[in-house]
Amino acid sequence: MACSPPPATPRSGRAPGGGKSYAGRSRRSLGVELTNIGITPGQLTGLRAPTSRGFPKSRNITEHVDPEQIALLVKNEWKLSYVTPLYQFRHVQLKSYSKQLSAFIVSEKQQGIAVEIGLETNFKVVFSVVLGLAETEDDAETVFIQIHSKPPFAGDGDVPKIIWSGWLTCVGGNPDYLRSLPSGFVCLPLFCASGSESLTSLVKLWFERTFDCSFGTLNLNSTYLQWLASMWTGCHHVSSIRYLKLVWNLPAQPPLDISYTVHPQDAWDLWNSVREQDSTGDTIGINEVERFMKGLESHFFRHFRIYLSAGMLTKVSTAFGSAHCDGKIKVCTLLQPGIFNIS
Amino acid sequence: MNPVLCLSLCLTPNNVFCIVVEAGTPWKGNDTVERHLAAVERVGLSRGLSPQAVSILLEFSLSLRSAIGIRVLKFLVPASTVPEEAIIRGVSWLCVDKMPVNMQVLFVRWVLTVFDLIDSKDQLRAIYGFIFNFVTEENLVRRVLVLLFITYPLLELQTRMGCQPFLMHLLSVYKVYCPELVTISVPAKMKSGFKNHNSTWKAALAAVQKSSTTELLSDLQLSVGVSQQPATRKRKLHRHLTIPAVSSSIQSQSRLSGSKVFPLEQLRTFSQLLENLHRIELPAQMGSLLGSTVALHFLDCVRDSSAFLRLNFWLGHLLHEEFIFCKDGGTQDLTEATGFLNTLISTQCFLQEGFAATELFLYKFLNIWDGSLLRPEILGLLSNIPVVPCSRIKTLLFEPLMQLFFTSSLFFKCSVIECLTNMLLKWLTWHSVYAFEDELDISVTSQTPMNMTLSGLMDSVVELVHFVGRISTIGLQLEGYHSLLLSFTLDFYMMVSDMYLKYDLPLVLMPPAGVFYPALFATDPVNLDKLCHIMYRYRTNLMSAKNQEQKMKISRKTYHEFNQYVVSMVSCLWNSRAFQPGMGLEMDEGLLSRSGVPEPWTRFSLVYHPAFLGYAVDFHENCWPERMKMDLSSIKLGKRWDWYVEFLYCQGLQGLKEFMQSSLRRQSSVGGTRATSDSQSQPPS
Repeated sequence: MACSPPPATPRSGRAPGGGKSYAGRSRRSLGVELTNIGITPGQLTGLRAPTSRGFPKSRNITEHVDPEQIALLVKNEWKLSYVTPLYQFRHVQLKSYSKQLSAFIVSEKQQGIAVEIGLETNFKVVFSVVLGLAETEDDAETVFIQIHSKPPFAGDGDVPKIIWSGWLTCVGGNPDYLRSLPSGFVCLPLFCASGSESLTSLVKLWFERTFDCSFGTLNLNSTYLQWLASMWTGCHHVSSIRYLKLVWNLPAQPPLDISYTVHPQDAWDLWNSVREQDSTGDTIGINEVERFMKGLESHFFRHFRIYLSAGMLTKVSTAFGSAHCDGKIKVCTLLQPGIFNIS
Repeated sequence: MNPVLCLSLCLTPNNVFCIVVEAGTPWKGNDTVERHLAAVERVGLSRGLSPQAVSILLEFSLSLRSAIGIRVLKFLVPASTVPEEAIIRGVSWLCVDKMPVNMQVLFVRWVLTVFDLIDSKDQLRAIYGFIFNFVTEENLVRRVLVLLFITYPLLELQTRMGCQPFLMHLLSVYKVYCPELVTISVPAKMKSGFKNHNSTWKAALAAVQKSSTTELLSDLQLSVGVSQQPATRKRKLHRHLTIPAVSSSIQSQSRLSGSKVFPLEQLRTFSQLLENLHRIELPAQMGSLLGSTVALHFLDCVRDSSAFLRLNFWLGHLLHEEFIFCKDGGTQDLTEATGFLNTLISTQCFLQEGFAATELFLYKFLNIWDGSLLRPEILGLLSNIPVVPCSRIKTLLFEPLMQLFFTSSLFFKCSVIECLTNMLLKWLTWHSVYAFEDELDISVTSQTPMNMTLSGLMDSVVELVHFVGRISTIGLQLEGYHSLLLSFTLDFYMMVSDMYLKYDLPLVLMPPAGVFYPALFATDPVNLDKLCHIMYRYRTNLMSAKNQEQKMKISRKTYHEFNQYVVSMVSCLWNSRAFQPGMGLEMDEGLLSRSGVPEPWTRFSLVYHPAFLGYAVDFHENCWPERMKMDLSSIKLGKRWDWYVEFLYCQGLQGLKEFMQSSLRRQSSVGGTRATSDSQSQPPS
């Protein structure tokens, strides 16, 4: 599955090289300096979507990543967040992070009781590295976190239950941006969480306090979902998408949800017909995406006399997975090229 | 009743006590003792006791197992420091195990209160074990407030005794020193654990210290990382503009290597900062430094670019989430946003530079801003942005600002001009500080990819000045040449006129006609006086630029413009030859006659100018109080004119005086009232 969340990295515009300029006598950095390394402040916002994207590189993920770890990634629905770069995060210290996070969770759960770090608690936290997801050498390796809970009166034979899991990842990050960060920082801009909201916020809080980073929710607006629909359809010749399902929300009274399922072959034919002749197949332009969506919408209009463009695209799903506008994604199969392309 | 040692105290003027001990004297009902005790008590509570006296009295009070010992302990307020050996001897009394429990408690509490005043703590540290032995006795710990450092017994104690506030605080204090060993989260609502008991001592101590003008003992209460955030659960889910509490970093380098670290949480006073500057570590969250003024001093010393990057990441995230993404319905609570932005502004003013995150945020926010939300704060932040390169200044700054400017009220226009004035001031100040060191060769270190050269800076300044010229010309027209807007505009040019001499920027830029003439014909003397001052400063700058022509080139056009303006001013105000050919501003004679104004060329002289008419009438009444009919033209005759001009100068019109005295060459011979502009002496006009 090829899924391309919006450019999470640079969402909150900030300048690499915050160290300053005029002969090092000041810490101010000219935000616009970034122009020279190809990142303009405008692009930093993530408010302006890219107008063209590279077609996902064909890459068999199962050859690089341990299938057991893939299994962990595919079975849940993930809530997405973006993360600013982590300061002083070290992949070699995951063990001690496990201890600290579990102690932190316990102490937050029982306000006011101090917890000695390193002792057995009801919560067991496991940090692990998912090797092989990184596409380039600038990408930091993905970190997977699981929280197990031990029931208070568990017998020896009871297996701790997984109550929360999440991961921080960076796949195909902007190399200019990644290289501009000083050595103390690790950029893992996408955070996926699955489990109770309260644990998610505790984990975020711990990361924020420990690595001086910030989390923000990552919503997928209509444009991103349209990109996904197009790119997934474009993969149909490699591996069948089985169906293309789109959900719109129309501002009618009462609000109207429209679910629109397209036969994969029809979608593929439409996609082929909107592809520009000169496009080599490596990149997809925003105008191709727009034409594709327009085709789907006008077809719908012919039959039902409803302008879908008046509503908001809220969900896209195929056999590869699904993505919801409130920032929830689900990955169903990883047989497809490059899973998370963060451009 | 045990025979008790008794004492006789002699009080000498310099506050040194001599103790003469007589064995076997009963103390109850002993008037001499009572009198002396009262005297010492008075001194102790008013001026404090010297180190030596503290030492002697402590020994004395602990050796007594009676109420008198407790009484002595209660007024044992040190004036400056407490000798370490006194404490150690006190602890040894504690170990004798004959002391009543309430005495023990009182003693430990006293030690804690004066803990920061103990002159050295090296030997004391060696006997912490003994002290803790007492502390962990439960009936003692219930009443004792401990502030010393020990963890495992305490953790144990907590499991035994549950959630006692003082233990919680104790552990939180411990967390400050060893965050990698213990973690605790303190409920925000929790009341302070060690406060109430020592308050009388503390008050006495603070009073004594204040009066003796020694360094004021900073708030003895340790902060334990309870931030001021409201405790509601809802708050926690909604991310808001709050500054995180200071906390030590778990990943500290030096802690592992065993060197001594001064926790930032403990930083209270500026002198502490000076003493420990080399031992302070950056906090876990850089944003927390914005919360206190002393921490800002520390931030000012930080030279680590990663630290500022962390700060910028945090700040950028916060500003974007709150004002640009507006995920939870935007800002409902404006007081919070106002407070936060004001903190940010004052921080930037303190550091004398803007943060990159603020700058990038503003460029985006200007495009979606309605011009009224948090106006003073946003404009305050905007005036702090660093020099914007000329190539991008238009799209980033001018276009969004222009749109807001022309569609908003007069007051918004005034505040935009004021904001741009401050921005220019910051840029010029920044230039004058750094350019001076570099002999006008400003080149940036290799750290940053962009070079800001002197010419780059000048281009940006030129752009800014031209921009203000354009918008104020049109803005003045739109607002009917409102005095307030004119005044703000002239303030801007006040700075522009002095760029060369005051800020060392080799640049002279004249105001556009759309600003100059409205100011010249302004109806209020304040603006006209400002204009005169501005023209005087332009003149001074141009003159000195002319003397250093090899250093800077001023274009002929600038001299020409300046001369034209001066000719206009002199012919209007002084020579009464306004609108005539060759006098700057020309106007068709037919048009003038159609206006029906008699002698239109005199209407803007010092006498008839709307701005000065009031002064002229005043002067006339003073000169000829008996006249029934006012004849202003008589002011122009003979000596009266000179008197009138002097009179104007005395009305506080300093700018007028400067301008007239510098630009006029009086022809004292014939006529007397005629003068010519000496602008011809300037380079070619």
